[in-house]
Amino acid sequence: MSPAKSAGRTVTEPEPLAPPRWPGLVTLPISVVGLAVAAFLTIQHYTTAIPLACPDTGIINCTKVTTSAQSAIFGIPVALLGLLFFAAMVPLCLPAAWRSTRPELRWGRLAFALIGVGFVVYLVYTELFTLDALCLWCTTVHVITVVLFAVVAMATASTGEANA
Amino acid sequence: MSKSSRQAQQRAREALEAQRKAARARRQRFTIAGSAVLVVVVVLGVLIGVKVAGGGNKTPAAATSLAASDVVNPLTTVPVDALNQVGKGQVTTLPSVTSGQTMLSDNGKPLIVYVGAEYCPYCAAERWAMVQALSRFGTFSNLGQTHSSSTDVFPNTPTLSFHGSSYTSQYLSFQGVETETNRQQGNGYAPLDKPTAAQQALVNKYDAAPYVPSDAAGSIPFIDFANKAIVSGSSYSPQLLAGKTPAQVAAALSNPSDPIAKAVDGTANAFTAMLCQLTNGQPGNVCTTSSATAYQSQLHVAS
Repeated sequence: MSPAKSAGRTVTEPEPLAPPRWPGLVTLPISVVGLAVAAFLTIQHYTTAIPLACPDTGIINCTKVTTSAQSAIFGIPVALLGLLFFAAMVPLCLPAAWRSTRPELRWGRLAFALIGVGFVVYLVYTELFTLDALCLWCTTVHVITVVLFAVVAMATASTGEANA
Repeated sequence: MSKSSRQAQQRAREALEAQRKAARARRQRFTIAGSAVLVVVVVLGVLIGVKVAGGGNKTPAAATSLAASDVVNPLTTVPVDALNQVGKGQVTTLPSVTSGQTMLSDNGKPLIVYVGAEYCPYCAAERWAMVQALSRFGTFSNLGQTHSSSTDVFPNTPTLSFHGSSYTSQYLSFQGVETETNRQQGNGYAPLDKPTAAQQALVNKYDAAPYVPSDAAGSIPFIDFANKAIVSGSSYSPQLLAGKTPAQVAAALSNPSDPIAKAVDGTANAFTAMLCQLTNGQPGNVCTTSSATAYQSQLHVAS
């Protein structure tokens, strides 16, 4: 600290703050859980050996969603895209990555989270209005992605000075 | 005031200003981040709200529109070489040939009757082959373009619709009936064409054993080839068409190695073999091709 006295007041000059620890402690477990669920859905996409453990009648119908034409984009299974998303987010959410002052990490993490949540909006729309069915496992991934985006956005805002 | 105290005051002012700027920037960042999160939550909330309010009871895509030229043209003008190369193709179920039935006719021409529904994915698959085969003997106009139900199995299978269409041919007559749309209404689908009494009588008689396998009885699509052969159900799996646009399906038909061509062209070749027997081999330029004769021995109509 370097206080400067002026007219009886002490004014503190701004200094770079130490990066907070909480973003890494919060986002890393969220990303890991997302990675696990996305891995399950990807394995389930390629093999029927693992049951989905999800109702297949009415509005909750995992099979209808995961076997629909919309379950792949440009031939790439959506489950695999989810797996790749979380596989990228896990290292980006390591405490060391949050401590890093490299702007490409900071903005890359935010951009990934934004792309992820944009995809979630599209997929939720597709489930509700095209397929008329919801997949519980997919919904779990959607909730995790939205929460991850919210935390990454707020944490990026709060670490502005620290990483500036 | 001494020079050093003036400098100290200046530094203090600058430090205060820097603190204020940092606080403003921080508030701004939080406002942007918070707004972005809020937008996402609101968008998802609106989607769920619209669905809960009943918006999801409607089929999202337009129900049926007039078939586009980039669908009808490639479908009805598949090169003969491609059809010949496909030959029998890959057809799961062939028409069941009847015996001892009087030929059904309309204005002196053999009458083909189709009964299906726009929501039905099996009908969606079958129409491609129907239109292609019948187009070798005549011309369709005002064919619709649509998809099967988005909530049934094989959702949104791309297809055409016979509702509102007409068919002219010097060799054959054709009646296409689409009993329901692909738009949900209550627990079913909105009604469309009502079969005439004569059409319903054909369904009652021929969409049942012994004319079709008992496990297929009552199925749609139902196709009556002038009472000489019956189709009940689809000739290949609608899964083949999953995720394709109507234009993509139509374009695939000219590529004999494409699985879609093997299924659709192969089924159309089987239908053509039937139709050529009904027209006594007319027109010659159609009925003498190897694609038209590929199934002739398997689908031999008793006179």
